[in-house]
Amino acid sequence: MLERILTTKFRDTLKLLFADITNQQDRMDEEKFSEDEVRIKERLLDTIDLYPPDVLLDDDFLVAAIDGSGTDNFMMLDDIRVHLLSTATVVLDSKSRDGCFFEPLSTITIMQQLGSQPHLDAHWHSGVRNDARNKLAETLENIYPLKDVVDIVMPFFRDHTDGIVSSKSDFTGTIYEEYVPELTDMETLITRAQMLTNPVVHDELRKVSEYAAARNVLTSDLRPKYLLLDGALSVFMHFARKYPSMPSGFMLRDLAELARREGVILCAVSKNHTIPFAHRIAKTAQDLFGEDAKWFCHLPCEDDPGGGLHIIEDRTYIPPELAVPYLFSFSQENRPSRIDFDRIWWLENVFVPNDPIATRQNEKALFRDLEFMSRDARWYGYPVALALAHESCKLSYEDLRLARDISKDVRRELGLVDRKIEPMRVDYNL
Amino acid sequence: MVLDRDKLGELYGKVGMGNQTMLGIMGRNRDISVGEIFVIYSQRDGTERVFFFRVLGLENYLRHVDDIGGVAGTLMVEGDAYLSGIERNMLLSVNGKMLGYAQQTNGKWTFMSPRRLPDHLASVYRPMPGISDEQIRTMLATQTDGHIYIGDLQVGEDTLDVPVLIPSEFLPMHVGIFGSTGSGKSNLMMVLIKSIIDSNMGLTGVSDDKRLTLSAFCIDPHDEFAKGVDKYGIQSIVETMDDKTRKEVVGDFYYLTTHKKATPREVKRYAREIRVQWNEIQPRDLYSIMEFTPQMSSFIDTQYSQHREDWIENILDMTDDPAGTPSGTLNAVKRRLGLLERSPIFEKRCSSILDDIFHAMESGRILVVNTSLMSDMEQFLLTTIVTRTLSDMRRALKSSGTLGDFERQGYMRLPSQFFSRVKTQAKSFYGIGGITDDLPVRDPRNLPVILVTVEEAPSILNPELMRGQSVFKDISRQGRKFNIGLLVVSQQVSVLDNVILSQMNTEINLRLGNEREIRACIENASVNISGFENEFRVMSRGECIVTASYRELPLSVRIPLFDSVFEKDMNDYKGKKTGSTKKHEL
Repeated sequence: MLERILTTKFRDTLKLLFADITNQQDRMDEEKFSEDEVRIKERLLDTIDLYPPDVLLDDDFLVAAIDGSGTDNFMMLDDIRVHLLSTATVVLDSKSRDGCFFEPLSTITIMQQLGSQPHLDAHWHSGVRNDARNKLAETLENIYPLKDVVDIVMPFFRDHTDGIVSSKSDFTGTIYEEYVPELTDMETLITRAQMLTNPVVHDELRKVSEYAAARNVLTSDLRPKYLLLDGALSVFMHFARKYPSMPSGFMLRDLAELARREGVILCAVSKNHTIPFAHRIAKTAQDLFGEDAKWFCHLPCEDDPGGGLHIIEDRTYIPPELAVPYLFSFSQENRPSRIDFDRIWWLENVFVPNDPIATRQNEKALFRDLEFMSRDARWYGYPVALALAHESCKLSYEDLRLARDISKDVRRELGLVDRKIEPMRVDYNL
Repeated sequence: MVLDRDKLGELYGKVGMGNQTMLGIMGRNRDISVGEIFVIYSQRDGTERVFFFRVLGLENYLRHVDDIGGVAGTLMVEGDAYLSGIERNMLLSVNGKMLGYAQQTNGKWTFMSPRRLPDHLASVYRPMPGISDEQIRTMLATQTDGHIYIGDLQVGEDTLDVPVLIPSEFLPMHVGIFGSTGSGKSNLMMVLIKSIIDSNMGLTGVSDDKRLTLSAFCIDPHDEFAKGVDKYGIQSIVETMDDKTRKEVVGDFYYLTTHKKATPREVKRYAREIRVQWNEIQPRDLYSIMEFTPQMSSFIDTQYSQHREDWIENILDMTDDPAGTPSGTLNAVKRRLGLLERSPIFEKRCSSILDDIFHAMESGRILVVNTSLMSDMEQFLLTTIVTRTLSDMRRALKSSGTLGDFERQGYMRLPSQFFSRVKTQAKSFYGIGGITDDLPVRDPRNLPVILVTVEEAPSILNPELMRGQSVFKDISRQGRKFNIGLLVVSQQVSVLDNVILSQMNTEINLRLGNEREIRACIENASVNISGFENEFRVMSRGECIVTASYRELPLSVRIPLFDSVFEKDMNDYKGKKTGSTKKHEL
């Protein structure tokens, strides 16, 4: 392959590709961005007012963060796929008065409140028709702490309908009425059954594992000020039914409602995002505020004053349903990241109708805290709690190798047929 | 029996990588120093073992940080950066050498060379003074017990209440003390002299103790042992003793000097003047300290066979080379013998000190020999004459079945005038049940162990002199048969002759001057201390590594100041207490 990659022909192919992107996509986006540029500069971008390095906060606070990892290919037994999931919760104390910023709570406290960390789970399903869906539903029911499916789904409808549908009986006469029987069972909440590929199953399992951990934090006595998730607060909607196509969408809204009730700020941070023109926004921020400025930029939706941005108008997943995304940069070394907040919480706590200055002050206060929790030298610019959660949950190649060895042992202990469980390509050194 | 692990010390870390010789430990971020000793508790196949590990290198390790340079850079550049919860992830990666392990068999602890490995992730403990002393003392008893106290077991910068001693039975197998100027050799010598006195005190009036009395002929090149360097010296011990103890342990004198008149008044009472007659000197005494050509040796040997003990006088009276002797030989020999003519301590006729030295050494006494006013050659010759005389006396004894045999052997081997003077006394030391000629003699190995100090050893224990008829070559090889050992004191190891180095069974290695000496010291140690280079480099005054062929474990020892050990024990000299049963306290 290398001899092909090193040829002029390959370079020519790439040239064509990039020219094509530039001609079609970039030009179109460029036009749209120019329509947004002034608004971004003047109204959406702002700097962060930094806490001094030796700040003594009036109220020190806790930050919880959750991250998950795993593999959808832990083991293959004929057509049976075994998934492995790991989830870690980290809770830090800002501890400005002790000078040891964002110190993890003791293992004993975490154990007492949330159980041992990180948490490991396994899941399996076969290629038998509907098995993936049945088993997925079964595992999700096991994992998620809230067991009543109606309780799980209602927060979405309450938020989505602005309170019009606030209980099961309110479905009567709405577009959802015909789906009520399906909204009472975990299995029928999975409406993308025909698309349940192995990665999709794994993705759902992983998300729900993280949401379950988040729910445990919210129902514990810890009461963090912030609860950070890894990723986005995205809810993928069923095109026809107008409600989430997977249980995780409902669960996310359950979390959001619970967080509001408990006074916890729920947000999700993603390093890997697809916000278009993030680099241009970053450049604009640098031009405006200087190279080493720390900044944030609100990405409004259609309902916000001034409407949505042109650059995202055809990208329906931005902003996500019931979420408010921002771009931010706390370090000149890194590309901007994205953070999502629950829109209902945002409307109640950040947005002040007809008062952009007050709204901006609220945003600044919020990002001031977020920046303060992102100064760990190991992951400067990224919230340390999330970084630690990631470190705690990640499954390395070596971890997986060991886990597979142990699986073999366990199968032998159980007197099961001793057979290879690694992916089949391993047999051929591929 | 399950060991109480709390008594091993503070739980420090876990065993990581390694093998039966080198180990890597991941431990807490504590103030660890090179040279510290850790103990590792291990249980494999139900057998409890405590491994001993010596720190040779340290490395900071931040768990979960792959790019430490990057983190340090961020902390530097971003003034507001912190490290969240880093304390628990700040670890020390400690690597070092496995020293061996202690294992209990039938209720008794034995110590083994490293031939096993601690269990996976075995717990590592850091011995703590006040907590671990008793346990470590018990486990290391076979490695630290003995009769002559050197100092206390050092674990890093702390010292445990674990006294390190040399067994008296190994003293005739020679002891080396190696250290550069200022490393603490003089203090160590004073501590050793005190320990010998203490050991002998413990034996007086005790008939059932199988230990041997110890004698030492201690060269004091700076005249500091008697009065001490600071507050106290050997004189302080002597003065503190009650009369009876002093008479039993020290006798009438302990201090030898060239000029008695110049001796401080209080020491003078226990002093004797060093004088040796020419007729007590044998050719090989001179061959041991200076080089002679084959022609010169041949000439001297001829003169000695013709004139026996008057050989020096005869040669010095000669005016011409005798027939058959190459021209110039006489003058060359006379030039070398000029040392005797010029010296105030070697006289043609005088009252010799050799009789007193012989008596003291066979009685289990200490002699402090002030050589500060002697030339190097005078000091070397004195040491040689004393060593050769004592060894020839014991050799004569060893070759005899009865005291009558001994007398014949003595006249054959030793200067007749000297032997005539001491033979009756010698018979009283060597005979069993009396001094008549038909009585059997004692085995020299049951007589007092005699330690002879060889100061500035490279001058006489170098390969050139040791190639010839050196007295010290014989002693180094055969001293153990006669219970005579050399205490070789040197600033250098690399220049000492291999014969003496290979015969040495106990080495007390103090701080050394340079890399070459460190390497030589490590190469010649009786146990494998390869990898200890760093430790030698960071050693402080008074710290030493003791290696011995009869022990598996190289021991880090802190030698206490003489003043402090004397102050602690001074009351014991008033009313006699036995050195062996006395409780040791730090």
